[in-house]
Amino acid sequence: MKARAKEARHRIGLAVIGGVGATAAFPALAFASEGESGGISAILPDPLEFVPMLVIFIVLWAVLAKVGWPKFEAMLEKREETIKDSLEKSEQARIESERVLEEYKRQLEDAKAQAAQIVADAKKTGEAVKADITDKAQAEAATMIEKAHAAIEAEKKAAISDLQGSVADLSVAVASRLIGEDLSDEAHRKVIERYVNEAGSFNAN
Amino acid sequence: MPTSRHVLREKVAAYASALLDGAYEAGGQDAVLEVRDQAERVMRAARSNMDLSSALEDSSYTPEQRNGLARSVFAQCHPVLVDVLAVMAERGDFALLSRVWASYGEQLERKLNVTVVDVTTVVELDDHLREVIVRKAEADLGTKVVLREHIDKSLLGGILMSANGKRIDASVLSQLENARNVLKLSTDGGEC
Repeated sequence: MKARAKEARHRIGLAVIGGVGATAAFPALAFASEGESGGISAILPDPLEFVPMLVIFIVLWAVLAKVGWPKFEAMLEKREETIKDSLEKSEQARIESERVLEEYKRQLEDAKAQAAQIVADAKKTGEAVKADITDKAQAEAATMIEKAHAAIEAEKKAAISDLQGSVADLSVAVASRLIGEDLSDEAHRKVIERYVNEAGSFNAN
Repeated sequence: MPTSRHVLREKVAAYASALLDGAYEAGGQDAVLEVRDQAERVMRAARSNMDLSSALEDSSYTPEQRNGLARSVFAQCHPVLVDVLAVMAERGDFALLSRVWASYGEQLERKLNVTVVDVTTVVELDDHLREVIVRKAEADLGTKVVLREHIDKSLLGGILMSANGKRIDASVLSQLENARNVLKLSTDGGEC
């Protein structure tokens, strides 16, 4: 920016110097126009007008160079600084954004890894819980089956015991009735004698 | 120093000795056995009649009242037995009757060398059976034996003998009960 301003100022200076030089080098052309109304005089400036204008131009140029141009240059420099700062800030912002992007990418990768780990852990825990529940269910089922078998066995034994008791009572009742009704006194005495001979001793008790 | 248990045993033995000696003097061995049987019936009556046994032991009555009550209640028994029961009631010892009866049997065996064997059957014994039973009992007990016969149809058959607190149960009833218990308790062969 500074370089362009310097170049523009340099070009303006060359143009002014060129104009002044041409006017000084070809005064005859200026005077020639007084005698001829046509020809080259038509395009040559009138010195009476040209000199004041030149003076005014030089004064104006000097004033502008002295007063206006530094302000313009300061404004350009300020603008240049502003643009430069903006560029630097944008560059820093870009670098920062790239860093943040990288950070975000890294965090995203970490989050993905953590999510995958959580899913894996949950899956593993779920499998363990499933296995535990299955084992407990199987154990409970086995216990229930065992209890059921025990209950069935107990019921079976009770039923058999009841049946045996009934059979025993019936058998004894039948035997009692048969003995009471069918044995004569003589038969009873034979039984008594046999029992006495087969019975144990008083001293055995 | 004698303990109360020793004193009690001596008291029971004294009652039994007085009863045995008095009965023997009154009528010999037959009277002794009769008194034994009557004492046993009195003992059963007292056990089955709580009012009677309570009255004979009731301290709210005077000793004379208890004596008179015993004499009036057991007036049909042998005089020696009535006297002893009256004295026991008077002194408040009627509750010792069962122990006196047991001691009476022991002294009977010791003093007279006779053991009373109670025999319970379904039918009456004939002489042959009595001889068989006496022979077996004398061989077992080593003393002379006197049989006291009882009839109990509930035995169904066989014989029940007891002497001096020992017992031989060869009745059909007990054998059927044993068979019933064996059948009920046995599980062999019961599996379906």
